[in-house]
Amino acid sequence: MSQQFEQLKDILVKNLKVAPELIISEATWQDLEMDSLAMVELSLMLEQELGVGIADEELLELATIGDLVGLLEQRTAAV
Amino acid sequence: MDPTRGDVAVTGLGLVTPGGVGVEASWRAVCGGRSTAALDDTLAGNPVRLSCRVPGFDAEALLGARRAYRLDPFVHFALVAAREALADAGLDPRTWDGARVGVVLGSGDGGARTWEQQHDVLRERGAEKVSPLLLPMQLPNMLAGQTAIEFGARGPNLVVTTACASGTTAIGTARDLLAAGRCDVVLAGGSEAMITPLLMAGFAQMGALSRREDGDGFVAGEGAGILVLERLADARARRARVRARLVGYGASADAHHMTQPDPRGTGIEAAMRAALTDADAAPADVGHINAHGTSTPWNDRVEAAALSRVMPGGPLTTSTKGVTGHLLGAAGAVEAVFCVLTVEQSLVPPTANLHNLDPEVDVKVADVLTETPVELALSNSCGFGGQNASLVIAAA
Repeated sequence: MSQQFEQLKDILVKNLKVAPELIISEATWQDLEMDSLAMVELSLMLEQELGVGIADEELLELATIGDLVGLLEQRTAAV
Repeated sequence: MDPTRGDVAVTGLGLVTPGGVGVEASWRAVCGGRSTAALDDTLAGNPVRLSCRVPGFDAEALLGARRAYRLDPFVHFALVAAREALADAGLDPRTWDGARVGVVLGSGDGGARTWEQQHDVLRERGAEKVSPLLLPMQLPNMLAGQTAIEFGARGPNLVVTTACASGTTAIGTARDLLAAGRCDVVLAGGSEAMITPLLMAGFAQMGALSRREDGDGFVAGEGAGILVLERLADARARRARVRARLVGYGASADAHHMTQPDPRGTGIEAAMRAALTDADAAPADVGHINAHGTSTPWNDRVEAAALSRVMPGGPLTTSTKGVTGHLLGAAGAVEAVFCVLTVEQSLVPPTANLHNLDPEVDVKVADVLTETPVELALSNSCGFGGQNASLVIAAA
């Protein structure tokens, strides 16, 4: 797994208390019981922990955790 | 209207109190008569550092980590107590008609801890860092809303707030809903988690909190009490265990002062008399009183004088707050559960930590655990704002 996946998993588990076994590349937000409020939280945490700005609306449009990891890889590479 | 429609059965009980998690642990602590007050590390900078916390309450273990994370402690306590009450009542949310199940809960403040934490975020890190969960975690109505979500209760759903009378008001309101036929089952009670540095500072500045001596104020507690209520005929029809009957409710306002009770005590007296009339009971029928008994000089003198007028030479009277502390908006609910246990088990719990009774208090205070049959118990609650409520609970 990429560094970005591990960083994301860390945020989801430690900050948002998502069960670690649910966090796989194919998981959807629904699988993780992440609603629109959780997207706002996650957006704030990605900014704070990783310095990556992704709006909550943008997060909601991503189908899976794998898609978010891909986006994180792009944005962190671009910095 | 059918006059028996107002007969309400208590078929389930749930408690989370400073005496412990669960009815059994809480009742054992109250009957043991030992105060649960202790120095509280979270109040290190406060002028008064005593509180009564729920021992060994692990919200993550009881509710799941993610669910616990998204709820304020005042909701944690209620969900755990409600789960116990439903199991006790033998009701299964997977099979019931949720549209006929109401939730009426009381809370004095709502999600105080969440509010204070997010206010710190606002001041230290700015408005854009404030959690989107702030409002759904701290709004008082979420107490009933989250209970409905947890158990699929889709009937009437509300939170009432009458400060320290909230739990009693909620139970009385629930009884009215059942009598009016608006639903068939109600989860009624109250929950509170107000032991935060800011709110405890506020109480201390009012002079409401005990610093050490008898009768110099209350010690704040936290927790929840939930009762499952049903019309008596319905409870009997489904062969539920009827633990007690809720037979009377009275409510009044002092219309006097924002915090002090009316010194004439007419408000609490009116609530008690209304509850007895509602129960079709004479004052002499009452075998036990669970007093509001906060240990503030104002409350105890005014309440005691009113008790003496309504029930001269009255029955054994207890303030269970000596053990649990003052659970504020949950107090009346927790104390209603204790009254159910008293009429069910013929046990009057003692008043803990009372060594110097105010000479102006002329009531028969229970100072030891007393085994005696009690047919009717009366529970009083009084809130800041002059809101008073009384319940009459009868043996099944």
